[in-house]
Amino acid sequence: MKRPGLRTRVTAGFSVAAMVVAVAMALLSYQLTEQFLLEEREDAAKRATYYDARIVRAGLAADNPDFTNVLKPLDTGGKRLAMLRFGGDFYGRTSIDDGVTDSFPPSLIRMVEGGQPAVQRLHIDSRPALVIGIPMGAGVSFYMVDYLDELDTSLTVLGLVLTLVAVLMTATGAGLGWYAARYVVRPLTSMVNAANEIAAGDFTTRLDPSAEPDLARLTSSFNEMVDQLSQRLERDRRFAADVSHELRSPLQTLAAAASVLTRRKADLDPRTAAAAGLVAEEVVRFQTLVTDLLELARSDQPPDLTPVNVADLARQVCRARGVPTGIVDVDHGTNPIWQIDRRRFQQILANLLDNAERHGGGPLTVRIGQRDGIRFLDVDDEGPGVSPPNRGTIFDRFVRGRSSNARGDSDGTGLGLALVAQHVSAHGGRVHVMDRPGGGARFRIELPEQRR
Amino acid sequence: MAAVLLIEDDDRIRLSLALALEDEGYTVRSGATAEEGLEEQRREPADTVLVDLMLPGIDGFECIRELRRTDDVPIIVVSARDDTHDVVAALEAGADDYVIKPVAIKELTARLRALRRRARPAPATLATLVFGDLEIRPQAGEVSRGGRPVPVTRTEFRLLCELANHPGQVLSRQQLLERVWEYDYGDERLVDVHIGRLRQKIEEDSSAPRHLITVRGLGYKLQR
Repeated sequence: MKRPGLRTRVTAGFSVAAMVVAVAMALLSYQLTEQFLLEEREDAAKRATYYDARIVRAGLAADNPDFTNVLKPLDTGGKRLAMLRFGGDFYGRTSIDDGVTDSFPPSLIRMVEGGQPAVQRLHIDSRPALVIGIPMGAGVSFYMVDYLDELDTSLTVLGLVLTLVAVLMTATGAGLGWYAARYVVRPLTSMVNAANEIAAGDFTTRLDPSAEPDLARLTSSFNEMVDQLSQRLERDRRFAADVSHELRSPLQTLAAAASVLTRRKADLDPRTAAAAGLVAEEVVRFQTLVTDLLELARSDQPPDLTPVNVADLARQVCRARGVPTGIVDVDHGTNPIWQIDRRRFQQILANLLDNAERHGGGPLTVRIGQRDGIRFLDVDDEGPGVSPPNRGTIFDRFVRGRSSNARGDSDGTGLGLALVAQHVSAHGGRVHVMDRPGGGARFRIELPEQRR
Repeated sequence: MAAVLLIEDDDRIRLSLALALEDEGYTVRSGATAEEGLEEQRREPADTVLVDLMLPGIDGFECIRELRRTDDVPIIVVSARDDTHDVVAALEAGADDYVIKPVAIKELTARLRALRRRARPAPATLATLVFGDLEIRPQAGEVSRGGRPVPVTRTEFRLLCELANHPGQVLSRQQLLERVWEYDYGDERLVDVHIGRLRQKIEEDSSAPRHLITVRGLGYKLQR
């Protein structure tokens, strides 16, 4: 599974922390508020009930009191229910629902009957209520049921508000986390951009060490790394240039001297002439090898892109090789003007045509087209084709195929297709070989569609 | 017989190239430094100069500029350096062509021959060609702007004539390479740098040319 990104993780961390704090705060607030409100409410209810009890006691002091009349002067409102108990029965102002009195716990009744005032919270018909019992003497006890509906509503509202606050806090935490992560990641983003620029070949890119004091060490190591990298590349480049010069100079002497020998072949005795012929041939091969190697060493440099008519270029390369230019074919509706490095593409085409000549019995078609956002160039031959296991390695360095030309010698350097692959990849494309329908090999260069 | 001046500091290359070119029928004079070469050219001018870029003392670029001060002799750079930068700098200094060592003798002589042919006037038109304030007289090998003569090298002149013979028509770099340099296919930088050099001479403002126009992706044209 893919590990979530730093920003996601920081954001999630902040959200979880905010949520834990918010929920804890909400629960604590709820508990404390609930307790406080209940106590307040209980106190108020008790005070009211004691006041009522005094009125009831005064009523009971009269001769032959009627329980209903005694309870009548009480101002109970809709939420309170006053009643008297005598001899195991409850008497109210109106008839009393059994459900109410049945839910009185026996312990409460016993306590009151034993002469002790008592308070109990309970649910009557699932309505929260407070029952207060006060002994009146002479076997009479006064009970007051006080429904707590409004308190319950308050607590529900409180709970909702607290839940909402918790959700908001969590969201705020997530927002903060996202912002913080972005802030933390920002220097990394600039580092990523710098690395991309460097990868694209711009070795002058450096990070500003004063931009992020906290990341000064990272910045300086990054810059140091780029310095070393560009120094090494510069060293390599200079070495390649030196090697190039040191190899090319003696080769020039050899080439000129060999040409003198070749020109005077007729004056030489046969053995010397044969040796001179070998020297001349090998000088040419050596020359190609050195040129190809030096080219290969530099092939990762960014290409010098200009608009080039690939079909015209292909025809020129054909003409230079004595291959009929009629084999170059452009698919209908294909724009043959591509943004490419002309020199390198010329070499790509030359090497593919040489390869077809050497191993494929000569090039058959060069086709330029485009399909599904890909521009392609095919070079077809009539040879034996390339067997699937060799299709990957054929583009490696110093891999030589069996020569198919009449002389049977292999005068290639083994670098031609490697150079093709390197040049194509420098253009952001790829090259591969497949079977040509009808036999032979098809080398296909693919470049992504150019931006307009 | 055509005389070639060879300015090359590597003794073995100088010797072997001289042997090979003499075999091809050229008279070869040589100098191991730019100073020697310039002196030689003053004493007895050669038809073509071959010059290396990395020379002790005065370098090849400076040597080319020095030669160009007084002479429109065809110059071919023969160098082991193949950086675009070096190629362009040498052509801008005034070289007509550029080959990279090791160059085959056949190739070198082909280019020498092409350069010598170029030295002859362009055959197409005899009449004076007029492009605004620009006058080209193919027969006399002269160019003038606003009545004042403009000094051009032979290659520049051939390039200008080729474009002038097709007024307003776009010629691709390859066509110009084939017709002016006589290459089957070659380095288009030759064309670009020579066009740049021509603009310096025939345009009032070479950064905003009025006659010698670049047609992006296609080539160049000369217009009135």
